[in-house]
Amino acid sequence: MKLFIYSITVSAVLILIGCQSEFPLNKDLTKQNYNFFNQDSVEISFPGINLGRITVIGFIYTHCPDICPMTTHNMFLTDQRLNKDGIENVNFVLLTFDPDRDYPSMLKKFAQIRDIEFDNWSLLWNTKQNTNPLLKRLDILAIPTDSSYTDNGELNYYVMHTDRISLIDQKGHLRKNYMGSTVNLDELYNDIKTLGKY
Amino acid sequence: MITLFAFLILFYSQGNILQVKNQWLRPGAKGMGTALYFEVENPTDKPDTLYKITSDISSMIQLHETYAKDELMGMREVGEFVIEPESSLELKPGGYHIMVMKLKRDIKKSDEIEFKLHFKNAGSIIIRAKVK
Repeated sequence: MKLFIYSITVSAVLILIGCQSEFPLNKDLTKQNYNFFNQDSVEISFPGINLGRITVIGFIYTHCPDICPMTTHNMFLTDQRLNKDGIENVNFVLLTFDPDRDYPSMLKKFAQIRDIEFDNWSLLWNTKQNTNPLLKRLDILAIPTDSSYTDNGELNYYVMHTDRISLIDQKGHLRKNYMGSTVNLDELYNDIKTLGKY
Repeated sequence: MITLFAFLILFYSQGNILQVKNQWLRPGAKGMGTALYFEVENPTDKPDTLYKITSDISSMIQLHETYAKDELMGMREVGEFVIEPESSLELKPGGYHIMVMKLKRDIKKSDEIEFKLHFKNAGSIIIRAKVK
């Protein structure tokens, strides 16, 4: 009897660990709707507009030459792979944490130059005041660092930031975070498949 | 005999000068920035220093590095890149890179952009980097 109880307990713990390791988070993001403007300056609510679909969200600023393009490219490659395999119902979102410089039109250009199509992609902008609550909810930090002025007198600065891609399920729950620039693409792809039961 | 001698000189010199290879950069929209990557091989017995890069595509080009602090990623300007004797230096995503700011025009996949790399010993080397 003791052996039986022991086996059941061990099995339950293993199942629990297994589930946790696949999707370690379950943070409900629907308790508050956050309003943003997309690349066409159309106002949308997040995560409201994405409910019912899996969302892959990355955090960027367009003046970032290295990390943010890597994050964007990783999401682009994942989208391409999903398309190739006929997997739909996945939204891709890029949210700027540098709204003072990244307006919707710039976000649109940032995407277009990378051949991103907007069927299932949204690039989101709002003022700092309206962006920061969602960043805080998702534990994203973005801190301006070295600054200088260009020859034309324009302020130029860099941002130290969380390197992140997050996976949000169909119910608007944050389920897993990844390093955006170095994410294991197979892991992200398989997690999407698992979440969508594809 | 003269031809052979010239060939030997050419062969010897090609193997003993600074080489820049595998250069590429990311797409970027006019007014925004991008990053240039490449590898520098220094087969000589002296160190060399890359201290400046110029191009018609931008008048704001800086030598940069990406760094991690706690769980955050940032980047900062570095004054120069030193390539030690008989060694190489790789500029790659997530590490050393050339930051090309305020692009004067859109650069798209498959474009080729010319850059002039200024070294203290080797002088100027012109490269054409493919956008991908």
